[in-house]
Amino acid sequence: MVTVLRLWRKIWRTGRVAEPAPQRPACGRPASAAELGGSVQIRHVDAGSCNGCEIEIGSAFGPVHDAERYGARLVASPRHADALLVTGVVTRNMAEPLRRTVEAVPEPRLVVAVGDCARNRGVFADAYGVVGAVADVVAVDLEVPGCPPRPEAIVAALRTLTGR
Amino acid sequence: MTVVGPGLTAAAAVCAVAVVAALVVPRARRPLVAGTLTVAAGGLGTVAGIAAMLGQPWSARLPGVLPLSGVVLTVDPLSGVFLAVSGAVAAVAALYGIGYSRHGLDGRAVQAVFPVFVLSLLVVPAAGSIATFLAGWELMALTSLLLVIAEHRRRVEVASAGRWYAVMTHLGFVAILIGLLVLAAPAAGDSFAAVRGAATTLSPPAIGLALVLCLVGFGSKAGMVPLHAWLPRAHPEAPSHVSALMSAAMVNMGIYGIVRVGVDLSGGGPRWFWLAVLAAGCLSAVYGILQAVISTDLKRLLAYSTTENMGLVLVGVGAGGLFASIGRPVLAALALTAALLHVICHAAFKTLLFLAAGSVLHATGTRDLDALGGLRTSMPVTTAAFGLGALAASALPPGTAFVSEWVLLQALIHGLPSPGVAASLVLPVAVAAVALTAGLAVATFVKAFGVGFLARPRSDAAAGAAESPPSMLAAMALAGLACVGMATAPSLVLPVLGGVAGRLAGADSPVGGRLGVELVGVSGALSPALLVAALMVATVLVVAVPRLLITRRARRVARLWDCGGGPLSERMEYTATSFAEPLQRVFDDVLQPSQDIDVTHHRESAYLVASVAYRRRVPDRVERRLYDPVLAAAAAWGEAGRRLATGSVHRYLGYGFYTLCGMLTVLVLLR
Repeated sequence: MVTVLRLWRKIWRTGRVAEPAPQRPACGRPASAAELGGSVQIRHVDAGSCNGCEIEIGSAFGPVHDAERYGARLVASPRHADALLVTGVVTRNMAEPLRRTVEAVPEPRLVVAVGDCARNRGVFADAYGVVGAVADVVAVDLEVPGCPPRPEAIVAALRTLTGR
Repeated sequence: MTVVGPGLTAAAAVCAVAVVAALVVPRARRPLVAGTLTVAAGGLGTVAGIAAMLGQPWSARLPGVLPLSGVVLTVDPLSGVFLAVSGAVAAVAALYGIGYSRHGLDGRAVQAVFPVFVLSLLVVPAAGSIATFLAGWELMALTSLLLVIAEHRRRVEVASAGRWYAVMTHLGFVAILIGLLVLAAPAAGDSFAAVRGAATTLSPPAIGLALVLCLVGFGSKAGMVPLHAWLPRAHPEAPSHVSALMSAAMVNMGIYGIVRVGVDLSGGGPRWFWLAVLAAGCLSAVYGILQAVISTDLKRLLAYSTTENMGLVLVGVGAGGLFASIGRPVLAALALTAALLHVICHAAFKTLLFLAAGSVLHATGTRDLDALGGLRTSMPVTTAAFGLGALAASALPPGTAFVSEWVLLQALIHGLPSPGVAASLVLPVAVAAVALTAGLAVATFVKAFGVGFLARPRSDAAAGAAESPPSMLAAMALAGLACVGMATAPSLVLPVLGGVAGRLAGADSPVGGRLGVELVGVSGALSPALLVAALMVATVLVVAVPRLLITRRARRVARLWDCGGGPLSERMEYTATSFAEPLQRVFDDVLQPSQDIDVTHHRESAYLVASVAYRRRVPDRVERRLYDPVLAAAAAWGEAGRRLATGSVHRYLGYGFYTLCGMLTVLVLLR
């Protein structure tokens, strides 16, 4: 009971820590994103990342940037998802699972390539286990540049999808 | 017109013909001829039993059959219930045996002993004197022992199971023998009528001694904890139709004995005795189902479930005797009705389950649940039969066991305001034990059905399974029909059982109602048929309505989601062990499983693991704590006694001489 009270006090004292919402992104919204009605469920796929992008995605969904207030939400299975957030260069072992994951998402579906590796192989361009960028394996609807991309950029891309 | 006498006589005659047929007919046609005759005998026994249940008394005296005492047969409604159950189970099991015996069980001995076993199951409840009863009991023990060890050449464990069964059943026989002799001491003859009349002259300690000895003997036959050790050994190792007959008909004889001696012959035992029966019933029910839920051997699981169900019956019998001893005959009749109904229900579903398990064993050659699975497509009828049996065995509507456990709980709950400290302590615990048992039974049978029959096959044997021959399927269909009948229309037999129990407890029938079950004397009503109808409507709504709504939209055929990596293999499935693991963890203190992990490292580095071996065993704790010390002590005594026997004849003569002298001295001193 005391712990709960302490927690309530902490919440009360801390208040909101989220950054004020920036301007809504104006353009670049994929056509099928409009069908989702402003709520986008997202499954994250690590296709061969160095985990830099993962930290930034975690930060984008943390209390400061709080991507969930714009209607984006991380889910645990592609069967529940509308969009995939793919990070990293696509490695040999992950090429087929990535294709199957995309297949498993119900339509209309969206694929977002997060980070330079996912866009154009980045620093892993000539490594031996690499199949290619995400666009070489599956169709990509949106890209987020950066190595790693800043959380603001990820949030902006997610807001492009939700339109909020 | 009475049919009990002619029916039983004809059944005995047909059994005799079946024995002769099994001995003379050539091997190719032997199972068919002997099996058909045994089916007829079982059917005749059922007809006689039903007639007796409906109130046709019958009695006969055959002085020439058994030396000195002769055979006395007396059939009353209580005998009728057990006669009908034995006959019906025997008929179904014999029908199943026609197909099942084709692989190696068509020898003369097995085929000839089976009808004798059936006959003994009809003689025991029909016996009207102690000598007849004990002769029938011994015949039942011996024939079932011969059938248990029928496959001893194929598997090593059969011999050990046979030894356990032989020793325990004969120790039980000794206990019953002494108990019944104590009870019959003041009587003029050994007929039940004479014993009943003279039992009132016995002193309370003598009656108590007789009842306790009978409880030990009959309880061990019924698989009562802690005397159950033979049951999970012998039932799995017997051929499956024999397992069905033992588990659905023979164990009932233990219950019959306790009811016959405790309620009828001794004129209603003391209160402490019935409290002991009730406590033993609770212990058996909970312990049996706990062992069943963690068991990975299909037939062993069913055997432990028998212990559980006999425990529930004992709870009913104990509660009935308790209520009768504190002067509440209506509740006593209700509890006894629940016990008798559960005997019938258990016989129906356990027959079905053992026959289906036998069908699986016949097709795959294994009883290990961890090696089964995926039988739904290759063995559809067996899967449906086991599914029906599993539903019947779990006390959920519309299951068969639901009705009887409901009546049992009604009796216990209405009896809660009973006088006496012990009763007010034991009865709430009994209610809790019945509820816990019901819950664990659901988990047990979900495991047995889900792991054993659904999903993918876990071994080549399971993948190559084929459906069983028609006679086996027909037997399963008959048993399934009985389950469905008992689940939907128990009111067909309940008023009759109520009458039987009422006569025993000295009250009117505690149940009534034409369509449903209505309790008379206490409030409570249930309509199984309406429940089934409501459940079916709900199922149709849940299944059909979404399907109608979904088919309007376009559908996409997609690959089963397997996390994107490779196909799902049978190694990823739940096994029986893993399914029961959470429960095993919860009941860790009770079960005390032993497990050890061996990690082998590579020679180069202790950080590189070459192989990991994991072993888990859940030994029967009662057995380890109770039987192992006794067996060790017996072995030590034997070793010590061996020193006396040196092989010298002079010494043996000396022993005889000194013993005689000692006895004479004692006699002289005592005079």
